[in-house]
Amino acid sequence: MMVRAEVTRVAEIASGVKKIDFEWDAKVLPGQFLMLWYPGYGEIPISISHIGNPKSITVKEYGNVSKLICNMEKGNTIYFRGPYGNHFNPKGKKILIVGGGSGMASLHPLIGPGVYGIVAGRTSHDLVFLDEFDRDKVTVSTDDGSMGVKGNALDALKLQKLEEFTSIHVCGPEIMMFRIMEHLVGRDLNVEFSLERTMKCGIGICDSCSIDGKQLCRDGPVFHISELSLMKEFGESKLTSAGERVFTNVHT
Amino acid sequence: MNLSRLNVNLCGLSLETPFILASGILDQNGYTMQRILKEGAAAVVTKSIGMVPRNGYAPPIVFPGDGYLLNAVGLSNPGIDKIGTEVKIASEAGKPIIGSIFGKDAEEFSLLARKMESYGCAGVELNLSCPHVKGFGSEIGSDPDAVEEIVGDVKKSVKIPVFAKLSPNVTDIVEIAKAADRADALVLVNTLRGMAIDIFARMPVLSNAYGGLSGRAIKPVGLRLVYEVKKETGKTIVGVGGISSAADALEYVMAGSSSVQIGTAVMESGRAIFSSLSSEMISLMNRTGFDRITDAVGVAVK
Repeated sequence: MMVRAEVTRVAEIASGVKKIDFEWDAKVLPGQFLMLWYPGYGEIPISISHIGNPKSITVKEYGNVSKLICNMEKGNTIYFRGPYGNHFNPKGKKILIVGGGSGMASLHPLIGPGVYGIVAGRTSHDLVFLDEFDRDKVTVSTDDGSMGVKGNALDALKLQKLEEFTSIHVCGPEIMMFRIMEHLVGRDLNVEFSLERTMKCGIGICDSCSIDGKQLCRDGPVFHISELSLMKEFGESKLTSAGERVFTNVHT
Repeated sequence: MNLSRLNVNLCGLSLETPFILASGILDQNGYTMQRILKEGAAAVVTKSIGMVPRNGYAPPIVFPGDGYLLNAVGLSNPGIDKIGTEVKIASEAGKPIIGSIFGKDAEEFSLLARKMESYGCAGVELNLSCPHVKGFGSEIGSDPDAVEEIVGDVKKSVKIPVFAKLSPNVTDIVEIAKAADRADALVLVNTLRGMAIDIFARMPVLSNAYGGLSGRAIKPVGLRLVYEVKKETGKTIVGVGGISSAADALEYVMAGSSSVQIGTAVMESGRAIFSSLSSEMISLMNRTGFDRITDAVGVAVK
């Protein structure tokens, strides 16, 4: 079933990243996503970055459809299916969220008073939702060193006393998440990762987004480190749009 | 659970239950097929594979409706040379993999079938019925001469059983079924042609406009076609079309299906549907008076 909603506000929050607000009275859990249809052009999966009402999606210009969505204005209509997928399970009093680039969009619903953050990006212009954290609770990393730690999210993560956190939630490029998973696995930590792979149907049938037999769109996109660390395809290989296995071999 | 009452011998394939994963659903990644087999499917049919890789259509490729699904995936597939890797991974589950193939003529179908056999597939399913790609599928599958030639040539090319999957989008399915007589079994039916229009966007939802209709909505249609073909030809049939419960499956069996395929119901119930269908079927057989599922095949055909 296709849902329609009116865009109520559009704001550029980082370089090429737009936050688009829309009225939609539905229950959405942190980490869930929509299949957003731009009639006549295509349909793409998009994280729901704000789950109250109004809701928001936070979109980075990437391909044709995301570019069209980024150019939408107040008063336009968006079409979508969802919400789809499972959700983050924040636990305890001291929560750390780790977002690389636009990966922060799916983590945004977890941000709140007292929540710690690592905000990673290529440059100081690519830091998404940095201002929403308490200043003394956020660590920044940039690849070019233009702000914060020069390096990646893992470099920033290594500066934290991780055992103090009651839960840790990570989203970003697969290489970033794989390195973090490697660093954290085997320790007594409660860590969740939100994955991204080619997604076509959103409803658990087309097999495009599968990893180790689980469907990101239905069993995921959020996986606990205890499950993710056993997955053979994570950081190793994935299928192209046609279904050809390509080896990313992040771990070699 | 003891599943021996559900055991089926389908054209030489030993199946633990009659429940097979239909082509097109969760069946291009070897790890996914392996998981579905471990979670209870008796066999899986791969996504339809052609000579070369195809991306398929741009999304939207599906439109989930109330009690139905429209899809126009567009024969997205990695090509025959790449699917061997996935079949090998799936085979680790120790259950039969049936390779689905599509080609433009008998020569392509035969080559694809031989490759599938070399990869270790237990059978090959000929997609003579995809409703939404020009030059393939139902365009070929509605021509009895083409069907006869393709089925005949593939049968000569491989030793594994050959299944012919037919389209419901024909005037007389019995004519096509007879043309496919040399197949070991018929798979009935593929999706019906359909579409959906978004009245606010004022355009078809699927990027391809037309798609294949599946799910609960088509069960009465598939059931009738199975019944009719069983009655007219007596062929071994694998029933598929809108099965979402053990009762649906038993109807298909009584109409003449020796086993059944499950596809769209995975959208509603998840991969777990295979194990729940098996336990449901055993209690249903107790209530309907069948000792073994094979005793029910075709009992309703008069």
